Amino acid sequence: MWIPIQIDENRPEPLYHQIESQLRGLILNGQLEEGALLPSIRELAASLKCSVITVRRVYQDLESEGLLRTRQGTGTFVAKVDEQAKAGHRLDRVIEAFERAVEAGLQHRCSQEELEAIFRDIVRKHYPQEGGESE
Amino acid sequence: MNAMVYTDAAASLSGVAVRRDGFAFGPVDLEIPRGLVTAIVGPNGSGKSTLLRVLLKLEPCEGRVELLGEPMDNVRDEEVKARIGFVAELPHAYEDALTPEEKAKFAANWYPGWDWERYRKLLRSFDADQARGKLRKLSKGMRRKVELACAMAHNPELLILDEPSSGLDPFAWKTMLEELHRFMEQGDRTLIIASHITEEVKRLADCILFMHRGKVLGCYEKDQLFDEWRSLVVQPAAEAGSDWLRKLPGLQGWAEAAPGLYRLETDKAGETQACCQDQGCRILSVQRMELEDILGCLIRREERTR
Repeated sequence: MWIPIQIDENRPEPLYHQIESQLRGLILNGQLEEGALLPSIRELAASLKCSVITVRRVYQDLESEGLLRTRQGTGTFVAKVDEQAKAGHRLDRVIEAFERAVEAGLQHRCSQEELEAIFRDIVRKHYPQEGGESE
Repeated sequence: MNAMVYTDAAASLSGVAVRRDGFAFGPVDLEIPRGLVTAIVGPNGSGKSTLLRVLLKLEPCEGRVELLGEPMDNVRDEEVKARIGFVAELPHAYEDALTPEEKAKFAANWYPGWDWERYRKLLRSFDADQARGKLRKLSKGMRRKVELACAMAHNPELLILDEPSSGLDPFAWKTMLEELHRFMEQGDRTLIIASHITEEVKRLADCILFMHRGKVLGCYEKDQLFDEWRSLVVQPAAEAGSDWLRKLPGLQGWAEAAPGLYRLETDKAGETQACCQDQGCRILSVQRMELEDILGCLIRREERTR
């Protein structure tokens, strides 16, 4: 099974953190459904070019959070996650993306006003005619 | 980072040394973890092949070697070796006149766990099942494929490969990686591989062992290594000068990259960055370091202490 995890080599976060937060996101936003069988540790490690030590750690962490369960001999599955937990994390990835955008702004010495103006422009481009305040 | 704790070692060496004219290896104290892929990396002549050869007692050495929990002390060496697969750096001359089939028959007698079906499957997967004629007449890559199939046909507990990809075309190389991943998928197998191909190390290894001039420079978990070793470009505040840079935690190397800009190499990326920020220093870029640059730093560090 292929899992849409993308590693950004130049992010400061350690690899296991990137993999863990993305996998958690995929479970909480429902992209990986209850009962889905995850790749074996070696398989996921090979596809992400990381070590089995890292993947083992991620699976163990998410298992202790109750998001995964391991059945001896069969593999690691997505556990049942309650709706409240899902709702609480629905926007995690979006918030993370905004964080990165603001970091990029800081690196280019943007002022707060400039950042906000850029944000408004982009939102206007992607959500046209909402509110009808133009004209 | 050096202190990896494993309950179980596939190989352990204590006080292992080889002394020959013009070459000194060791003394090496080392544990190679079971169930993982350990890549041995180092410049030419750093002792990678010697390390693999002393593991198998193919080279006389001082000290103590244990493989798969058994001491290599001549008493039970043959039994232990039957649980191991090995591809040497260079093909054996005494096999030159054998055909692949004859080599396989010879190996089949040797290894109780030999499985002809596995052997043929491997040959097919490497696209080498059509190889006929004597081994010395085969191309380098084709002979390599036959050797790999022979080393894996008994599904060894420990597989030791010395630059296995030399001579392989890119397709065969990819197949080899897939077969090695499949081998490791069993969970309890161990692979020790000497390699100078960065991409191979990145794709395969769980741990990386660095060697230089017959000494072990360190053994690291691969992901931690690449997480922690980074190169930064920084711009210190004009009034602060650059002297304080030398005292940064984890600093491995630094150079002025342009007027007022410095390129730093660190093995404690997080601490180095935090410290730069405390000093009001702008961080213009942060990048993971390449394997060969990390090796370069480790060698410089080693040579400073000599």
